Amino acid sequence: MSRRTLVTFFHHEDDVLGATRALRERGLRIADVYAPYAVHGLDKAMGLTPSKLPWVCFLLGLLGAALKVWFEFWTTAQDWPINVGGKPWNSLPAFVPVTFEVMVLFAGVSTVIAFFAVSRLGPTRKAVLADPAVTDNHFILVIEETDATFDPEKVHQLLRQFRVIRVEERVESEQEVR
Amino acid sequence: MAGMGVVTLAAGALMSPDRAWANLLLASFYLLGLGLAGMVFVAIHYVTGAGWPTAFRRVPEAMSGVLPIVALTFLLVLIVSPQLYPWFGATHHEANGSAWFRELWLSPAFFIARSLLYLFVWTGLSYAIIRHSRRQDEDGDVSHTRKNARLSAGFLVAFGVTFWLASFDWIMSLEPHWYSTVFGVYHFAGLFLSGLAMITIVAIWLERMGPLRSVLTEEHLHDLGKLLFAFSTFWMYIWFCQFMLIWYANIPEESVYFVQRLEGFWEPLFLLNLLLNWAVPFLVLLHVPAKRSPKLLLTVCWVILVGRWVDLYLMIFPPLVGETPAFGIWEVGVMVGAAGLFFLSLFRGLRQARAVPVRDPYLEESLSYHN
Repeated sequence: MSRRTLVTFFHHEDDVLGATRALRERGLRIADVYAPYAVHGLDKAMGLTPSKLPWVCFLLGLLGAALKVWFEFWTTAQDWPINVGGKPWNSLPAFVPVTFEVMVLFAGVSTVIAFFAVSRLGPTRKAVLADPAVTDNHFILVIEETDATFDPEKVHQLLRQFRVIRVEERVESEQEVR
Repeated sequence: MAGMGVVTLAAGALMSPDRAWANLLLASFYLLGLGLAGMVFVAIHYVTGAGWPTAFRRVPEAMSGVLPIVALTFLLVLIVSPQLYPWFGATHHEANGSAWFRELWLSPAFFIARSLLYLFVWTGLSYAIIRHSRRQDEDGDVSHTRKNARLSAGFLVAFGVTFWLASFDWIMSLEPHWYSTVFGVYHFAGLFLSGLAMITIVAIWLERMGPLRSVLTEEHLHDLGKLLFAFSTFWMYIWFCQFMLIWYANIPEESVYFVQRLEGFWEPLFLLNLLLNWAVPFLVLLHVPAKRSPKLLLTVCWVILVGRWVDLYLMIFPPLVGETPAFGIWEVGVMVGAAGLFFLSLFRGLRQARAVPVRDPYLEESLSYHN
């Protein structure tokens, strides 16, 4: 299956933001937006749902902390009790720093791994760019042309309002996109 | 409210002098924290060239208006009731000669001279910074921002040294034989946390009452929420640094401080301190929508402000009242009076200048700010 897309080029961050917002409000489907750097507010303009990564971070941090407390208790109080300075074997304050470190390690590393897994990033993944210019000074907005809502005349008029500099129409096969 | 505080203080001074004056010391230090935190907040943003807080910068600026009042109340404590400090006027000499520095440092004349110097430096620099900020409203000169960046850098350095020493002088020397080198940092964490809470509360109020309507947005609240979250955790971190080292080493001279605070009715208060200053803000503000909700932020901020009182109470009162915590009319009255004085000076400061620094070069950035 193939799909038709309209690839539009912009010079300024504000223009691409405004165009994205305006097109989405008119019911058009935004395939993706490419920018040379992270543009603040773009996620809201595109209407992306909030990421679920914070939950991975939170739960695995909690798991890491719990495992570490159990491990420290097991090593110093159960399996091989060691008397340190006459303190009780299960001295919680002494466990806190290491527990904290392991919590951060679990939360941090697992979040990165989860991110790679969800976005299918890996050493073999090839970069898919709408156009090499996006690595330079251009912002690119890719619009899907669906028959029901797509009216070329209106879309072009709207894009001109946001100082679009170039528009290309493309037909892509599904494999190329993903 | 301020009047009530004065009446309570006067009555307390006659009927229960030690507690009344200790309360005034607590209240002075509490207000000092709020006033200085306001100035530190402003100074940090001038130095780093941050634009986002410009829209509500008049709030922390107005908060520092309480500093001259703090100077008066603190001097009142020193003049009327220096016996709060056990070393004041004490002439005992320790057998070994190693305490000469401590004796010199804690001699009444040097102590008062230092206190005056701190108060003078803070009041003077904050006055200079605020004057430039307000003048910019009239002439729109960008050089005010540059001058303020330089003044703020000076203020931050001076603040770092003087506040660190002041926390040693005014609070730690209540128990002259106990010492903790992290005490100054610990106090900075408490100061900035309570200051941020107050800035957030007043900013939300002003947004609701009108002056900051459609100026203060969710984006500003989000960043204030992030700062509250970070400094709450920082406070906990420094608290634990102090506690763990003393707990681990277990040297009687040092651990006596915590032993006293972990016995009897002090223990629930000791744990309540951690709950109010860290556990509640941490768990509530962890979630992003909570940082953007004015209602939740207000609640958390009040919790933090109560927590700051408990924190200071735990530092000042145990050596004074002994085994059971004392809480009653003197504590409530003096704190109500302090709150009255604070809000009087705050609203006076807010009325003196425009609610928004209209000609600040960073205002545009602040108004259209988003995370």
